[in-house]
Amino acid sequence: MSNLPIPTFQPRLQVLSRAQALAIHAAALEILEKTGIKMEHAQARAMLIAAGAKPLADDWIRIPGYLVDDALRSAPRQIVLYDQNGNRAMPLEQDNFFFGTGSDTTFTLDLDSGQRRACVLNDTGRFARLVDALDNLSFVMSMSNPQDVPIIDFIYVYAFAEMVRNTNKPIVFIADRLEDITHIHQLACLVAGGEDALRRKPFLLNYSEAISPLRFPAHVVDRLMFCAAKEIPICLPSGSNAGGGAPVTLAGALALGIAENLTGLVIHQLTQRGAPFLFGPNVSAMDMKSTVVSYGCPEWSLTQAALADMRDHLYGLPIWSFAGASDAKTVDAQAGAEAMFSIITAMTSRCNLIHDVGYLEYGNMSSLEMVTLADELIAMARHFVKGIPVSPTTLALEALERVKAAGSKGIFLTDDHTFDHFEEALFLPTLIDRSRFDTWQDQGGQDMYRRSNARAREILAMHRLQPDKPPALLKEIDALLAKL
Amino acid sequence: MKHLSALSEAVIKGDLEAAGAATQKAIEAGIDPQTILDQGLISAMDVVGERFAQGAMFVPQMLRSAKTMQSCVALLKPHFQAGTVSTKGIIVMGTVKADLHDIGKNLVAMMLEGAGFTIIDLGVDVAPEAFVRTVSEKNPQIVGMSALLSTTMPSMASTIEALKQAGLREHVQVMIGGAPVTAKFAEEIGADRYAPDAGAAVATAKKLLNIT
Repeated sequence: MSNLPIPTFQPRLQVLSRAQALAIHAAALEILEKTGIKMEHAQARAMLIAAGAKPLADDWIRIPGYLVDDALRSAPRQIVLYDQNGNRAMPLEQDNFFFGTGSDTTFTLDLDSGQRRACVLNDTGRFARLVDALDNLSFVMSMSNPQDVPIIDFIYVYAFAEMVRNTNKPIVFIADRLEDITHIHQLACLVAGGEDALRRKPFLLNYSEAISPLRFPAHVVDRLMFCAAKEIPICLPSGSNAGGGAPVTLAGALALGIAENLTGLVIHQLTQRGAPFLFGPNVSAMDMKSTVVSYGCPEWSLTQAALADMRDHLYGLPIWSFAGASDAKTVDAQAGAEAMFSIITAMTSRCNLIHDVGYLEYGNMSSLEMVTLADELIAMARHFVKGIPVSPTTLALEALERVKAAGSKGIFLTDDHTFDHFEEALFLPTLIDRSRFDTWQDQGGQDMYRRSNARAREILAMHRLQPDKPPALLKEIDALLAKL
Repeated sequence: MKHLSALSEAVIKGDLEAAGAATQKAIEAGIDPQTILDQGLISAMDVVGERFAQGAMFVPQMLRSAKTMQSCVALLKPHFQAGTVSTKGIIVMGTVKADLHDIGKNLVAMMLEGAGFTIIDLGVDVAPEAFVRTVSEKNPQIVGMSALLSTTMPSMASTIEALKQAGLREHVQVMIGGAPVTAKFAEEIGADRYAPDAGAAVATAKKLLNIT
């Protein structure tokens, strides 16, 4: 009888103790119960008051802790996103992590000129198709605010359609108000084959934001309630950024962001009990010199990991997260360093849905090169996080005997064991360059920016959707857009 | 004057107590309030603005200095004859229609106030009509508009158009800012200037009105 296999430990990051998590949660509840929130959506305000919230002056209301407990209990512990062909793609639960790009960048780094320019719809399509091709990215976001759309009021509808045309992967999307999210939903129903099919196998997730501190504008809550009713998975992270909309000390920023997020969850579950809600605020830091909200700072990585710990200690809901982004204005060492830092922390803390991969300039500029190189950084991190399997095979004592027997010529490089296992055992980079100097020089002496630029072009030139979108569907989409 | 240099030091350091005391001393010494304002307070904020632009001061420190300066201005106000406080100019500011983001605009307003301008802040979600109404009522030298969303930027163009329609465009300078805004966009819509951040906004406002 052979022994039971030794389970492989997979490296895991923890940043909060249970006591810390409980204290932050208690503070969040105190904010809701004593300070209150500003609920500018009349129907939601009435619904909360009917459920037990207490009105204060103007639109402010206080929310009792038991409403939070109810909502945390009824929200589903797993959210499954499907691809656009109805295949199970992203089970958001427990320790599963999935990376993807980001939305809403005004500018993009031009692939040909290397210059920063305003985004157009063609960029939306290209970013979608690039992500469709990359193994380590699981979902698509717009990576653009395309300026050349026919009607600017429907910018997000056009962006969504363009993403649908260029990928089969799940899509995380933005909307502005009830009108455009309704059109996006109609479009999604065309893809899925009806509203019921979409409800059962959603391929999309909405990203909406309340405004820190404590503000819930009406059009935001419109979208929240729409998604709840239609069971479109949604996240509602406010940007509770340290020193800006939230306290500069991270515990306070987390407590505030969580309070705001719990408010969204309560409304969401009161609207449709059991509808899918992806948990978590965006808790970054405002830079104290430039006042930008930083996308490369260590604080955001820390608060994301903290949120994962709070999920594990308290909430049990899958969480929204970020990684692979930078404040750098070019694809340089800062970009690489910042992107890698957050990729490692998001993965080792097991954040579930991890967006913004490929961002430069604190989210103002998207880069095809950054997306391409981050794909490899994610693979490298993944290799580390898989851990070190320990078994008779990996301990390789037999192989050692063979190498010993081969005498002075003995080396593992030529042994069968290496041939059999090297692809599993080692990380095999393609963009990361380890060649000898002369080889590297002969191939043009290119840095990472140049190499990832070349790879991105290659992928965009070669990649085809598998399967292609049916022409009939594309026609229906065009018809829907024409009626806007 | 030593009273004024002590006052300036306190404003630069953001020491509310010391600045208040120094203001009182300067008043009691018989120094004219406009002089105290110009040479004790505004000049101190010029230094603060300079240091901030060079990366030698952080925003919270600059805001503390601005707050210190404003508390001293409050102490000075009763000593001015009615309507005789001379400021560098009046600036009407707002975040445009359908846009609710204001942290950037608020920072710019605070810095402009620290630099000696009078600010009329219309808040967020400000319709073109509201800008026009305020301009005709208050006769500002500058209108400042902010937007965070690409989708609300067109409202900047609408506001400029509305000012034209009301015959007011020639009477004001228009400055715009916000994350998606660019100098090129400013040119396209006929704004006078674009400023990328709060520090640059002060320099730009001064340049627009030909003051130092």
